[in-house]
Amino acid sequence: MEIYLPIAEMSVHWLIILGMGAAIGFLSGLFGVGGGFLLTPLLIFYGVPASVAVATTASHITASSISGAITQWRKRALDLKMGAVMAAGGLVGTVFGVWLFGVMRRQGQMDLVVSASYVILLGTVGGLMLRESLAALRAYQSGAAPPAHRGGQHLWMHGLPIKMRFRESRLYISVIPPLIIGFVVGVLSAIMGIGGGFVIVPAMIYLLRMPTSVVMGTSLFQIIVVTAATTILQATTNYAVDIVLAFFLIVGGVIGAQIGVRAGERLRGEQLRLLLALLVLAVAVRLFFGLIIEPADLFSIATLSP
Amino acid sequence: MRRLYLIAAVLALCAIPAFAAEDLVSGLSQDTVEITSNYTGTDIVVFGAIEHLEDTGLNDVIVIVRGPDASVTVRKKDRVAGIWLNRDQATLQDMPTYYYLASTRPLTAIAAAYTLKRYGIGLSNLAPTRIFAHHDPEPFRQALIRHKQQDGLYGETPTGVEFLSPTLFRVHVPVPATVTRGQYNAEVYLFRDGNVVSAQSTPLFIDQTGLERRLFNLAHSSPLAYGLFAVLMAGTLGWLSSVIFRRAS
Repeated sequence: MEIYLPIAEMSVHWLIILGMGAAIGFLSGLFGVGGGFLLTPLLIFYGVPASVAVATTASHITASSISGAITQWRKRALDLKMGAVMAAGGLVGTVFGVWLFGVMRRQGQMDLVVSASYVILLGTVGGLMLRESLAALRAYQSGAAPPAHRGGQHLWMHGLPIKMRFRESRLYISVIPPLIIGFVVGVLSAIMGIGGGFVIVPAMIYLLRMPTSVVMGTSLFQIIVVTAATTILQATTNYAVDIVLAFFLIVGGVIGAQIGVRAGERLRGEQLRLLLALLVLAVAVRLFFGLIIEPADLFSIATLSP
Repeated sequence: MRRLYLIAAVLALCAIPAFAAEDLVSGLSQDTVEITSNYTGTDIVVFGAIEHLEDTGLNDVIVIVRGPDASVTVRKKDRVAGIWLNRDQATLQDMPTYYYLASTRPLTAIAAAYTLKRYGIGLSNLAPTRIFAHHDPEPFRQALIRHKQQDGLYGETPTGVEFLSPTLFRVHVPVPATVTRGQYNAEVYLFRDGNVVSAQSTPLFIDQTGLERRLFNLAHSSPLAYGLFAVLMAGTLGWLSSVIFRRAS
């Protein structure tokens, strides 16, 4: 059965949308990422206008992240305090990002900026994760002891002021690094139409040195706050949130997310990170070729308001 | 409402002495297209009859359905340091969002090029009211027409006018799912020996109805409430699923 989307002004098959939502939701539950970096390009490829795809993806990520976060919360795998600090930085970042979005669009190079930042960001993060998870897997297979929890290590950021104790993360650090990470992710969320999980998860593990067990739940919490804010900002500034599209994506997404969380319990941390790294790198490579291969049609059309 | 338009159209035509409006009558299978939740595009039928058919001369009918105008920016990619990025662009003001033409024969066989150009008949004669560009805009105009044709929003069928009898004709006009909402116009031209002898215009309205209409209105009239509602829906569905799945496992 085909359904008509009132904001996107096109008709789509509801099963395809439901399936897309479920597939992305599965990844969301499995890796603790929102999956926006996959869903936004997927929707655009299906013919949904880019602005509607970016805005509606945000509300899909909110729903599947809430579903995943509650499951993690029950397992006590969520540092609420850390999540709140990062979300505060994220909210400021989102507002700044929406402003930046407008400036870049007026310069007329929005597509290039988005594609190039996807390639750089996904390529860097994916590459680092791939190297690290392969090293961890090799160490595991050769029987060496896994690296111990490095909470006691002293890094440059331990000299920063306004320290706070994060009990669930077993950390006593300054609030400035998590605030900055939250801010950066908020900016990326507004510009690229993503939740930012693939940035925040590595940042928590490698920069803040949070234990892997609380990383998934905490990143989901931060993503919920940022994407909810993005949805409201997109609805009020661009009128681009399609609630019918969002509904079908969400119904698929929450089901997929539950299956994903259960599948994730059967895999080890390094294996999960290896899979996520490969996925992120694949998207980066695909977008990179999109930038350097001659397009089939050099011309593109953008309809302005009538 | 529709009758008023018809009267206006007839009066407008009577003002031009060369036309004999009573030679041609035409109508539409429906004067509104309602976009509902299961709308996937539709076909409308433009029909008409030529009255007082004369034996002298060749009669040709051209039917054009036009959608509301909009400004369009066309961008062209260029390779800079190995990367393809948008370089040149042209903004074409007031191009129809939808244009479908059907005729009895190929346009060039019906009338001279300057006649077609004067009435704006045919995709090759579609011109914006203004162009903003720093270079030759013609490739950009052609690119727009090519894109619109691929999307099914522009079309030209030289054999699209079906004659059911020597005087009665009919045209099927495809309206795809991606059409812009607004007022459309169905124009019917009667050509005799390469000249327009009669013309008629009938309006057609395409709009959303029911739930779609209300959602669209809400999104634009109270965007904050709409955004909050979207977040609330997302939150409820997310929470609901975790409750259901906990019971299940």
